[in-house]
Amino acid sequence: MYYAELLLVGLVWGCTYALMALGLTLVYGLLRILHVAQATVFTLGAYVGLLVANYSGSLALAFAAAALAAGALGPLIYRLIYQPILEKPPSVALVASIGVLIAMEDGFRLIFGPYGLSFTHNSWFTTPVSFAGLTLNLVQVWIVLAAVLLLTAFAVFASRTRAGVAWRATVSDPAIAESFGVGVIGVRYLNFLIASILAGVAGVLVGLLNNLVEPGMGGLISYKGLAIIVLGGLGNVPGTLVASLLLGVLESFGTVLLDKVMDRDAISFLFLTLILMVRPQGLLGKAR
Amino acid sequence: MMLEGRNLAIAFGGVHAVAGVDLRVAQGELVGLIGPNGAGKTTLLRLLTGVLTPDSGSVQFEGRDVTRMPIHRRAQLGIVLTHQIVRPFRDMTLLDNVMVAAAANLTRRPWRAMVSLDAQPARERARALLARVGIADGADRIARSSPLGYLKRMQVARALALDPRLLLLDEPLAGLNYAEAARFADLIAELNADGVTIVLIEHNLGEVTRTVRRLVVLHNGAVLAEGVPRDVMERLDVRDAYLGVGAAHA
Amino acid sequence: MDYYLSVATFAALNVILALGLNLISGFCGQVSLGHAAFYGLGAYAAALCSVAGLPFPIALLAGVLAAGAFGILAGFAALRVREDFLAIVTMGVGFLFIGIVRKQQWLGAEMGIAKIPSPLDKWGYAALAIGAAVGMLLLSLHVRRSWMGRAFDAVAQDEDAARSIGIDVAGYKIAAFFIGTAAAGLAGGIYAHMAQLVVPDAFNFIQSITVLAMVVIGGVGSTLGVVTGAVLLTLMPEMFRFINDYKLLAYGVLLLAVMRFSPDGLAGLLSRLLRRGSA
Repeated sequence: MYYAELLLVGLVWGCTYALMALGLTLVYGLLRILHVAQATVFTLGAYVGLLVANYSGSLALAFAAAALAAGALGPLIYRLIYQPILEKPPSVALVASIGVLIAMEDGFRLIFGPYGLSFTHNSWFTTPVSFAGLTLNLVQVWIVLAAVLLLTAFAVFASRTRAGVAWRATVSDPAIAESFGVGVIGVRYLNFLIASILAGVAGVLVGLLNNLVEPGMGGLISYKGLAIIVLGGLGNVPGTLVASLLLGVLESFGTVLLDKVMDRDAISFLFLTLILMVRPQGLLGKAR
Repeated sequence: MMLEGRNLAIAFGGVHAVAGVDLRVAQGELVGLIGPNGAGKTTLLRLLTGVLTPDSGSVQFEGRDVTRMPIHRRAQLGIVLTHQIVRPFRDMTLLDNVMVAAAANLTRRPWRAMVSLDAQPARERARALLARVGIADGADRIARSSPLGYLKRMQVARALALDPRLLLLDEPLAGLNYAEAARFADLIAELNADGVTIVLIEHNLGEVTRTVRRLVVLHNGAVLAEGVPRDVMERLDVRDAYLGVGAAHA
Repeated sequence: MDYYLSVATFAALNVILALGLNLISGFCGQVSLGHAAFYGLGAYAAALCSVAGLPFPIALLAGVLAAGAFGILAGFAALRVREDFLAIVTMGVGFLFIGIVRKQQWLGAEMGIAKIPSPLDKWGYAALAIGAAVGMLLLSLHVRRSWMGRAFDAVAQDEDAARSIGIDVAGYKIAAFFIGTAAAGLAGGIYAHMAQLVVPDAFNFIQSITVLAMVVIGGVGSTLGVVTGAVLLTLMPEMFRFINDYKLLAYGVLLLAVMRFSPDGLAGLLSRLLRRGSA
């Protein structure tokens, strides 16, 4: 039973990672940029969601607001930061992204204070959900639901809609896509829009999960997200999902088994490093 | 016999890129390796230089088995490759590009390199080599803004700087116009006359048949024919291989 | 006076860190986002030795060797993965270091190692740090001019081409990591004795990014640029007290500005201005 619970908790974490990592792999697949600044959008979503939730009492409104805010910021970051430096070597974009991340983290600290804010009515947090002898709270259930819903929606979008097909074409070969009349710039904005909305929603969910929204909450999940997309094979969406869940479960078991040796984050990165040493192209990636 | 590839074979995901090839090159030879697209020429060259390791077969160089030897060790032994798509050090001048190779004995070991400061001998040698390949005037041009003809010749100069025993050229004439290609082919012939053993891959059949002494034709990963250029090119099966696949360039 | 000595010492330590990273990333082209881990390794190793009663020079040496040994391991990682992947792996190394150290009771866990014996006074540390910084500066300049520097350059620009002209790319990468991390270890050892306390959080990702910022803003690959960057970023929060509160915001914005407008940093900017001035 105990192990089943660990597994479940791990899967929940894995779902939050998936929401974050999907955005990262989308951006990488399209632009070869490690979008560490995804953390910024995540945290903004969390703050906006919390403020709206506390003010209006409606979680639905909170999610909508978070998605809106995140969806606005993400493409803005692309336009202001990444677009001008697309031609430069990849490390330039990475360093710029890191710059955005630490600047914004500090910005959030200055605006909202360093100690974080809480939800005034976090009913989901306090609502237990039991099945098969295991108990989760409603936030955890919603996280899994959100992940499943959003990712399925994305899959449908990518394979069934015109915009989705255009997007996939652009990812696999921008030049050819362009010659077929696909507006590559539009696809890029769409890419960031989707990635950012996912991150913003994830931000609110994680805020609810911990009942705390703080300036640095996005950093670690963003770094781990990078580790995940590398493991899953850069630009490889199914691979990213598998790697996300795998990492979540590994952390869950790892924190219990290796409690005396290393902390949760170290476990993730140890796993990542070992895998990369054995398979430099990632778990499901193709050899470069 | 300087170089012997014996029964070399390698497959990629079910495709036998090279399937049992024997290749012998004697010292001082100028050998041309031709064949339609996909015949396995570049793969064979990569097996000889160490970019790829064969699934079976061996590569012997001057009596030593080099089949599994890493690239930089083979370069140190004297097997040097120039790439089909030129790979200069883009932010260095043409002179610097050759200089780094000219000081190969100094750059071999990091710790030795650390205590070596004298760049004069290497610089002079590099200048001489640039002159030898005809681009002395380009010495101070940055590689990234140099025309293809210069880069190709620089590549050869860089290879020569390593005192190669065996020079392997992967499509040296690719991308050059008619006049440039003819001049470059002449340069290759001159280098061979000076004593450098050369094996080259080429699609430019006109120039390669004019320049080399022996021709080896690859088709579907195996040797189809070899001999004196004129005899080889008149063979029906060679013509079929080219025209049948529809890939004749000339 | 004490205050100025402290600042000078920290500036010198940052110079050593930045020059070490510059050698790895600037000269040899290997991304490394976990440099603080080696700073920390040196600090912890030196601290353990001193607390155990070993003499100061031995402690410092232990710091250098501990950091360098792990640096060699990191170098091996750089043989397997490149660029983006290497960035993530080195970032991971940083998190691994902290994540493991935080849980080790024998290393003081979260509280770290305290009451480290301090054999020198403020002047002594300042002199030692500045001396080491000058040494590192001279070493950097020397390596740059030597054939090692040229070979590093070749490796940084095109590994495969470098291999094809006989350069032992693997050997150079490992050498770069060793020198750069050993320097960080030396800085760590000095820091440990000066502060008399080492805690895991002093060597976190933000610290790695701070060193990166010094290198990037100064100008990746430019020895003097990097020194300037290190000194500037150490002095600025001190000289303009109010900046201290916005330090990370300022770093972030600076990094962004540099990447956007002058990716080769202040050094690149300067050389462009000079060229335009003389044109």
